[in-house]
Amino acid sequence: MHLGFRTQQRISHTFGLLLMGLVLLVVLFPIYWMLLTGFKPSNEIYKLPIKLYTANPTLENARNLMKVTPFLTQLRNSITVAFVAVSIAVVAAALAGYSLSRLEFPGRDFMASAVFFTYLIPGTMTLIPLYVMLARMGLLNSLHCLVIAYLAGALPFSVWMLKGYFSTIPMELENAALIDGCNRLQALYKVILPLAGPGIVSCAIFTFTLSWNQYMLPMIFNNTENLWTLPVGLAGLVYGDVFLWGEIMSGAFLMSIPVLALYVLGQRFVVSGLTAGAVKG
Amino acid sequence: MTPTDRAAGPAGGAAVLPRRRFRIREQTFIGYLFLAPAAIILLIMVGYPALAGVWYSFNSKMLGFEQYHFVGLGNYVSLIKDPRVLKAIGRGFSYATISCAVKLAIGMGVALLLNMRFRGRGLARGITLLPWSLPEIATVLLWTWMFNDIYGVLNTVLLKTGIIGSPINWLGTKWAFPSVILVNIWRGFPFFAINLLAGLQTIPEEVYEAASMDGANRWQAFWNVTLPGVRTVMLIVTLLSFIWTSNDFTSIWVLTHGGPAQATETFPIVTYELAFIGLEMGKAAAVPVLLMPFFSVLIVLLVKAVSGRED
Repeated sequence: MHLGFRTQQRISHTFGLLLMGLVLLVVLFPIYWMLLTGFKPSNEIYKLPIKLYTANPTLENARNLMKVTPFLTQLRNSITVAFVAVSIAVVAAALAGYSLSRLEFPGRDFMASAVFFTYLIPGTMTLIPLYVMLARMGLLNSLHCLVIAYLAGALPFSVWMLKGYFSTIPMELENAALIDGCNRLQALYKVILPLAGPGIVSCAIFTFTLSWNQYMLPMIFNNTENLWTLPVGLAGLVYGDVFLWGEIMSGAFLMSIPVLALYVLGQRFVVSGLTAGAVKG
Repeated sequence: MTPTDRAAGPAGGAAVLPRRRFRIREQTFIGYLFLAPAAIILLIMVGYPALAGVWYSFNSKMLGFEQYHFVGLGNYVSLIKDPRVLKAIGRGFSYATISCAVKLAIGMGVALLLNMRFRGRGLARGITLLPWSLPEIATVLLWTWMFNDIYGVLNTVLLKTGIIGSPINWLGTKWAFPSVILVNIWRGFPFFAINLLAGLQTIPEEVYEAASMDGANRWQAFWNVTLPGVRTVMLIVTLLSFIWTSNDFTSIWVLTHGGPAQATETFPIVTYELAFIGLEMGKAAAVPVLLMPFFSVLIVLLVKAVSGRED
């Protein structure tokens, strides 16, 4: 039988919606499971058969996580490292981005390519010498080494993005400020930065997520749990003698909150920042 | 303000513009001054280690020992003769190839779905991006827990629906490799979907109308209009994802530690094991250098694709 065009279209639309529902289920179910486990009482977590819901949600896991594991210390480490890394990255990237996009000097294009090149060097290549170098400098087992390592990871992209962003801001605005007697730093601070808000926010969010999520470097550089950040601390709870899945899942949920909040709040900024930086004028 | 600053200021003293030669010197000075913080950090933390890594790969450097000596290609010879390393390199590439192929296929399908007109489309796009935007460690721990052979929800659901007859020890048997690939796909497909969706949105509606006027059916329209329209985006996301996936350490390490019996060991894992468990820093440093030519080719392709798209 030959179906009419409209009917055919309706069938394929309905089929599409069903598939969409399936995709959302595959995405959401694991996340639901994280939340559920985080709020399930432990006697239900380890009771067979597993139930797909709980009638007795509890904060026991989160409380336990904060009491019996160094979660709060590690949370403080994570916040400290991310905060310092973001502050330095924004300042250094804004200065470098300004320099590479607004000033003319010999070697500028070479420096710009060099920054881009550092973005492409894989982390596995630098890891071992970095470890040896930090060991010699006596910086292992500290939060300092994490900050500078994260800066190295965040700066190439941030500099490159802000360079692109700054070059979309009309030169005339800045020239006016310079003629009015501003020096370069004042011009950057008073004219360029206020206009580059989305670019700066993207740079801050990028550096924050990179620092907040990094697992390998703190795991390798720091060997005491009081100097770990949240990812290493939480993963460390997996291989103990006792199952702490309720605690781990509530920790995973807690550490996801700031990232999701930034993602939701910053989405508009990030999107406009990235497109503005990428579009050639 | 110091005298130099005043002299270097563009409007120093009088309200006249400085002479041209003077201005260039000022820009050079300020240019390098502003560049310095970022440049110094990158030089010390990326530039030097990258070169030192190449140097180490020609030396017998052991972790915890200061002395080392030049061994030429010794580390490379021992790498190529080490079946464990060779297997890890092969496994790393099959991990990345399989993951990326599936992520590309699913990502394309989901991009098409998200491009349909329906209520709540914006929300659906936001939800689809969740696995990608959640912290990696949170999702990897979540999957470790779901894979648990006794209390894991995956076995519970599959047993209940009758898909499997007895519980599977996902991360402790031959299932470990497909399992780590599954986690990578779940985390990574939204990156493909969202970027391909952005690519789809750049294809003008008129092209589809023209195609259907010419009598093209849906499949032909997809093959002749949609795919060519997103070809560059496909190339860029696939290359990027391939580089990231093959260098992925965290998710495999947390899920399986490379086990059982090295069944999920890829080259980042074997590099870590050689360096920090075997203490053979020189040999470990040679692994990324050995793979560098291959990744350089991918990076050159990537840079070409990206700059080609911008022009």
